[in-house]
Order: sequence, then structure tokens, then C-alpha cells
Amino acid sequence: MTLQHYLVISAILFTLGIFAVLTRRNAISILMGIELILNSCNLNFAAFSRFMTPSTDISGQIIAIFGIVLAAAEAAVFLAIILAIYREFGSIRPDEVDTLKG
Amino acid sequence: MEFTLKNFIFYGFALMTVGSALLVVTVRNIVHAAFSLMVTLFGVAGLYVFLQADFLAATQVIVYVGGILVLILFGVMMTSGRLEMRIHIERGQLLLGGVVSLALLMLLLTVIANTPAWKNLTDDGTELPPTTERIGELILNGPFLLPFEVVSVLLLVALIGAALISRKEVRD
Amino acid sequence: MVVSLISIILLCPLAAFAIFGLLGLANRRFPRQDYLSTIAMLVALVCSFLLLREVVPNPEPHTVNWISLGGVTFSMGFYLDSVTVIMLIVVTLVSSLVHIFSMGYMHGDPRYPRFFAYLSLFSFSMLFLVVSDNLLGIYIGWELVGLCSYLLIGFWFEKDSAANACKKAFLTTRVGDVGMFIGMMMLFTKFDTLSLYGEGGIFAQAAAQLSTADMVWLSIAGVLIFCGAIGKSAQMPLHTWLPDAMEGPTPVSALIHAATMVAAGVYLTARMFPILTETSSLVIAYVGGITALVAATIAIVRFDIKRVLAYSTISQLGYMMLAIGAGSYVAGLFHLTTHAFFKALLFLGSGSVIHAFHAMHHAHDDEHEHAHEHEHGEEHILGSEIPPDQDMRNMGGLRHKMPITFITMLIATLSISGVPFIFSGFWSKDKILAGVLGRAMEWSSVHHYILFIIALSAAGITAFYMFRLIFMTFFGEPRNQEMHDMAHESPKSMTVPLIVLAILSFPVVNTLWFNKDYVKPPPQPHLHAPQHAYLSPDSQTGGQGAALSLFGVSEAFAAEEEGGHGTHADDGHHGHGPAHTIAMVLSIIVAGLGIFFSWLFYHRRTLSAESVATTFRPIYNLFWHKYYFDEFYDGVLVALTVWKSRLFAQFDGSVVDGIVNGVGTVTRDILAAFVGIFDNRVVDGLVNRVAQVTWAVGGRVRRIQTGAIQTYLFVVLAGIVLLILIFRAL
Repeated sequence: MTLQHYLVISAILFTLGIFAVLTRRNAISILMGIELILNSCNLNFAAFSRFMTPSTDISGQIIAIFGIVLAAAEAAVFLAIILAIYREFGSIRPDEVDTLKG
Repeated sequence: MEFTLKNFIFYGFALMTVGSALLVVTVRNIVHAAFSLMVTLFGVAGLYVFLQADFLAATQVIVYVGGILVLILFGVMMTSGRLEMRIHIERGQLLLGGVVSLALLMLLLTVIANTPAWKNLTDDGTELPPTTERIGELILNGPFLLPFEVVSVLLLVALIGAALISRKEVRD
Repeated sequence: MVVSLISIILLCPLAAFAIFGLLGLANRRFPRQDYLSTIAMLVALVCSFLLLREVVPNPEPHTVNWISLGGVTFSMGFYLDSVTVIMLIVVTLVSSLVHIFSMGYMHGDPRYPRFFAYLSLFSFSMLFLVVSDNLLGIYIGWELVGLCSYLLIGFWFEKDSAANACKKAFLTTRVGDVGMFIGMMMLFTKFDTLSLYGEGGIFAQAAAQLSTADMVWLSIAGVLIFCGAIGKSAQMPLHTWLPDAMEGPTPVSALIHAATMVAAGVYLTARMFPILTETSSLVIAYVGGITALVAATIAIVRFDIKRVLAYSTISQLGYMMLAIGAGSYVAGLFHLTTHAFFKALLFLGSGSVIHAFHAMHHAHDDEHEHAHEHEHGEEHILGSEIPPDQDMRNMGGLRHKMPITFITMLIATLSISGVPFIFSGFWSKDKILAGVLGRAMEWSSVHHYILFIIALSAAGITAFYMFRLIFMTFFGEPRNQEMHDMAHESPKSMTVPLIVLAILSFPVVNTLWFNKDYVKPPPQPHLHAPQHAYLSPDSQTGGQGAALSLFGVSEAFAAEEEGGHGTHADDGHHGHGPAHTIAMVLSIIVAGLGIFFSWLFYHRRTLSAESVATTFRPIYNLFWHKYYFDEFYDGVLVALTVWKSRLFAQFDGSVVDGIVNGVGTVTRDILAAFVGIFDNRVVDGLVNRVAQVTWAVGGRVRRIQTGAIQTYLFVVLAGIVLLILIFRAL
């Protein structure tokens, strides 16, 4: 296994996440896409930590842990917002929530 | 590249991750998508194990699979009232998004392939001691103490914020 | 232990005030602020007595660091020696009694709780001043007590006279405080610290620089710091505020303007004792002596009972200053203590009398004020009007109506007049006189002989006017039958403090001062006797005095009868033996004369005060007009200020306003016209044009705002990809 293996996997995950965020018509699916993106980031951190630094240095892993924590916080707030939006608009389709339309 | 059991398992996990991620973004049933996401998360946790990040892998399983995924399922239920929910996809949007995503993927792959510093870094296969203790040291008694505290405050804020936002009625 | 006790002493009154203040912010009120404040004070009193036990076996100073701010220079700290402890006891004791007295006296006042909160704040400030070990802390406490004095004098601020009096007190003392601050800064530049005690303290440094010290610098600094004491202790020429301060409630007069705050000046001077030079000592002694005499003469002709006491206070404070200036450290502080008790008693007693008349006051307010305006049309200087319930000419024969008040006040009067042996005032005053005379004989100093004569005459006059007060108030026939009929003895809460203070006016309780081992004067390295050989080292310890036990008053008497040799040779100087006997005999004689003449004038009426006043009309006028100090201040200082202000006002009105108006006219009529045209045509045109363009563009651009997040994100990502591609290509 080389670093590039991991980077490729992570790149694919990232792209899929972006794709979900761009195309899905459901806020929760978008959240899933975001989770994919965050996972690819964390994978990158762990991989770089393993390959680019001395094996005793595990700072990258800790950053990844922080990433997970942030993801958890983000998911909680995201779902809370979704609930609020659902109550307000009766829908969680992002294209229907367009109050900002010019 | 020799074909060892380790490689076999690695590729298995890689495939599992990428494949289930693909399912996440393609299936129409949102509950199925959520379960696919679970598989993806497990896959990533497996990859962490290959990176000698045992604690990270455990955290991934516990927090993501045990926490976030459940949260997502709750979100699904509370917004649709049922567990089957179709996802609408428009053709034009699908096309545009696909183009951009593909371009992005190409871009990333080019970068990965062409960065000299990243080439030929193979896993030396050294077995690291379990990382949990060192992570604990670094977080609670080392340079990451401050970030750790900040993150805990952030979590608290997120918790309160989430509770506040999702309350049924907001009195002023 | 010491630190915690001091902390409790300080925190109790502060907490009582803080509770009032904080609840006040919330528009709430503690149900019984009076109990709260009084109990806080009583706790502080108990702690003070505990401190006495802490210090008695070990009279060494305790210096405890409290807070260090920034560098080492500004530190707060406690300094605890025997004098501090005695001051703490005096302050807490008088304050507690005044608290209790006020419950009766101030009862029914609309701002009753606030009064107690102020009393608490004052007590805290005063205690803080007393225990501070550095000039900065003393200064903070100093200004705080000044503030409380201001608040309490003006407590009945609806009265114009009270409002004016509190402003006057505040401003007049401020004059002295400026001097004090300059003095502090002089010491600071010299010694780089404001701490007084300890290794690097001012005193240690000053003593170390004995040979090199700049005596002129030190003298000026000493005199300037004494200026603060002049203001606060109402010494000449800044004494005019104290009589007017009697506009405040009488318990306040007793606590602040008789017993404690005004004594702070004496205390400060005593604290600065080690750096006093010959010159500054002499200045202090003279200021004190002249004040003692002048104030006493003014007191003779006052009719307002509280003003008599006010001038008496000024006079007695002058006595203490004189003592400290003449090197009689212990005597000065001893007199401070005894004076605090008997003067507080006199004031509270007068408060009791006033209280007795108070109901009348309201009923016949208008009538009496009118009458007095007519009678004394000439005295319209600030605060000169006498409220009828304080006018001694309305009193007389009260001794049957108010027996407790009468007896307690009589004891205080006997004490202040220096009636020998059984009253504390005799001992302290005698000690001062002996100290001054001793210094005079020892140094063969003309100055000190003059000061001794001044002090002696002041003592006689004191006895005279104090008995005048007693005779006019309590003896003879009632002069105002209507008011007399209304008078009644005060309630228990008022008489009990009177009785306690009366007990304190006997020397039994002041015996600490007789114990030479307990209170020792600090050395004065910068003060050189003219004949240096006189000072022999063993005289510093003076063995005989140590024979006196803590409560050995009887032994003191015995020693006194035997010739009193050395019993009071307190201050480490020779020459007290004969000086003491002479001083004692003379003081008894003048006190007796004073009382005798007073009896002749005001009781037997064999001599008529009026005829004497007519005979010596100029002198009488001088006394009556208080040496024209107020007139001088009004006529010269105030007039100068007003004249200067008028001048500036005129300059302001003609020149400055003229320029401003001229510029205004030019601007309005000429410039503004042009600018107006430009504004309307060019600026407005431009603005409108810009607005139109923006409007038009906005109308078209808004269409790309779809409001859909995904579209935005799509554009952003596409942009990123494009940008990266472009930059890679470049």
C-alpha cells in the first residue's frame, strides 16, 4: 500500500460527496454527502500522518479525531436546522427553500 | 505487487468504501442511502486500521455509526413521518453536477499522481504500539489540551444551539 | 490570626454598606439596615478587643503584606502596633455607640436605612485608614472618610445650609489634601516607595540617610503632609468647615466631627512622627497651639450648643497637634483617645437635648426662625443661623427634666475641663502640658515656653466655656417655658450610649496609655535637640514607668502624689520631673479659675457677660465673628474668584463670542450660499445619477440570485475547478 492508494480513495469519496451535495434534492442526503467529504478529509489526515511524518508522531490522527467531533457537532446543528426549516416550509427540499431568491 | 492476505483485505475495504459511497449518492431511497453510508463509514474505519490508527478507527465506529448515523435516521423520520422517502433528482442538475464532480476528481487525481513528494511512499509495515495512551497524553497533558477544551466548548454550544433551534415554539 | 481579625474588622462594616448598595441597585432594601450596620460594628468591636490580646504581649509592629500591585512600590498592607489597636478600639467603640444612639435619634427619618449604610461606609474607611501601613492606603482611606463626611453632613440636603456646609467641608479639606498629596509625592521621589514601615519603607530609609538626608526637603514634605491634617483636623486656617459641618445629624457630628475622622489628622501626624524635623515639628506645634487658643476664644461667645462643641473640638485637636509637634507623641495620642470618648459623649448629649426639643422645633419653626433673623440680623455668614432647638438661650434648667443626659454631660465636661485626678481628660491634657513644658525646659526653647503659655490659657478658656455650656443648658431657670415643658428624657437607645461613654471618661479604661511598655514613641532621628548631650541613651527606656501595671491607676495616683517623678516622663526626654509638677499645678489652677469665672458669670450672675462684652466690644466682635475667617474667605478668596470669573466671562462674551459670531455670519451668508448651489446641482446630480445606474444594474443582476443553495455551490465549485485549471495552465 502506498500513500497514493489512500489519496485516491479519499479523492473518490470527496468527489462523491460533492456530487451528492450538488445534485440531491433532499437536505438529509446533502448531509450525507457532507459526511462523506468530512470522512475523506479525516482519511487524508490519517494517511499523511502515517506516511509523511515519523511513525511516532500521531498528530494527524488527533486532528482526525477533532474532525470527527466537529462532524458530530455539525450533524447535530444541521439536523436541528432541518427540523426548523421543515416546520417553517413543510419541506426539506433545498430548491423549495428559496426565500433568498432575488 | 504481491498478492498477500493483507493486500487482499485492504483492497476489500477500499472497494467496500468506494462502492457503498457510490450507493449513498445514487440510490433513491433515503433509508437505503443511510445504510450505505454506514457501510462506507465502516470501510473508512477499516482503512484507519491499516494506517495503524486503532483509536481513530474505534472512534469512527462509535461516533459515526453509533451517533451521527442514528441522528440522520431520526432526521429522516421526523421530516417525512416514515422511513421510505424518495429522493428527487432532476436530469439537468444531475448532468451539471456530474460534470463538475468529474472535473474535480480528474483534477485531484492529477495532483495526486504528479506531486513528487507523495510518490513511492510505501507502508514500512512497522507495528506501532496502541495509540490510545499517547493520544490521551497529547490531548489531556500536551499540546492539544487547548484545542481539546475549545472543541468541548464547541460541542456544548452545538448541543445547546441544536436544542434551541429545534424547539417547537420559540417564546420571545 | 492578626490578619484574619483585621480582615473581619474591615469587612464587617464594608459588607453592611455593600448589602445596602447592592440591594439598592435592585431597588430593594434590607429590612433592618440599622441592625445590620450595628451588628457589623459590634463584631468589629469584639475583634478589635481580640486584637488587643494579640498585641499586648508583643508590642512589636506586625506588618502583613496584603496585595502587591505591579512592582514592589505599591503594596497594600496592615501595620499593627499598640497605637493602631487603640485607635481601632476607639473607632469601633465610638462607632458602635453612635450606631445605637442613632437608632433612637434618627428614628422616623425618611432616609433612615441610608444613614446607617453611610455610617458603615465611614467606619470601614476610617478603619482602613487606621490599619494601612503605607501612605497610599492612608490616602485612600483619607479621601473615603472625606467622602463620607460630605455625604453625612449633607444628609439632610433639603436644607440649603446643610447642602452648603457639606460642599464647604469637602472643598476646604480638599485644599489641605492637595498639600498632602504633594508631600506624599515628594517622599515618593526621594524614597521610591510609599510604604512607611519595614526594610525599604520610608522611615527605615530616612533613618539610614541620617547624615545625608536633605533636611529642607524632609521638612517641606513633612509640613505638606501636615497640610492634609490641617484640612482634615480643622486646624487654622482651614478650620472654618468644621463648625458648619454641625448641619449634619448630631450622631454624625459625634462620630465623624468629634471622635474619629477629625482625629485622623492627628493620627496621620503621629504616623509621620519619625520623619518630622525640627522645623516641621515647630510648625505643627505652632499651628496646633494657635488653633487651640483661637478656637477656644471663639467658643466662648457661641450660643448654638453644637457650635460651642465644634469649636471646642477644633481647640482640642489643636492641643493634640501641639503635643505631637512638641514631641509628646504618647500624650497627643492619649488625648486623642480620651477626647474621642468625652467629646462623643458631649455631642451625643447635645443630640439628646436637641432631640428633646425637636418636636417643638417643627411646631414653631417659622416663628422662631423669624425671631432670630430679627435678633441677629448681622450674622448671615454661612451656617450662622441658630436653629431654635440648638440655641442655648432657649435652654436652662434641664437638669431635672433630663437627669441622665445632665449627669453624663457633666462628667464629660469635668473631663474636658481638666478637673483633676478622677477624669481622664485631666491626665491627657496634663501630659500634653507637661510634655510641652518639659521640652521647653530641656531645650531652653523660647518657642516652647510660648506654646506652653498658649496651651495653658487655652486650657483655662476651655474650662470656662464648657461650664458656660453646662450652666446655660442645665442650670438656672427655664428661659423658654414652652419649649421646656415639651422637653423629655431621651429613649433608652440614646441614654445607654451616653452612660457607656460617661464610664469611658474615667481614666480606668484608658490605662493602656499609662503603660510605658505598651505604647512607645517611635524615634525621631531627624529631630536634634539644641543641646545634644541632653539625650542620654538610657532615658529612652525610663525604667520607672514600667513599674506601672496595665490597670494600675491607683499606683499612678500614688506615684503622682509622691511628686510624680518620671511617671509620665514618657517621651524619652529628660526634664519631665519638675516640668510635670509645675504643669500639673498650673493646669489645676487655670481649670479652677475657668470654672470659677464661669460660675460667676453664668450661675451666680454676679458678673454680667453682657457688660463685659460691651466693655471689650472690639474683642467681643472679633470672637463673635470668629476672627473674621469666613468674612476673609468670602471677601477675599471668593471675591477674587468671582472677579476672575467675571473677567473671563467678559472676555468670553466679547472677544471669543465676537469671533465665533463673526465667523458664523461670514460662513452662513457667503460661503453657505455658494455651497448650497454646488450641493444642489453637482452633488445631488451625481448622487441621483449613481442611484439610477445602481437601480438599473440591480434589476438585472438580481435574476441570478435563485435562492437555491445548490446552484450557488455549483457555481462556486465550477469556479474553483476553472481557476485551478487556468493557473495550472499558466
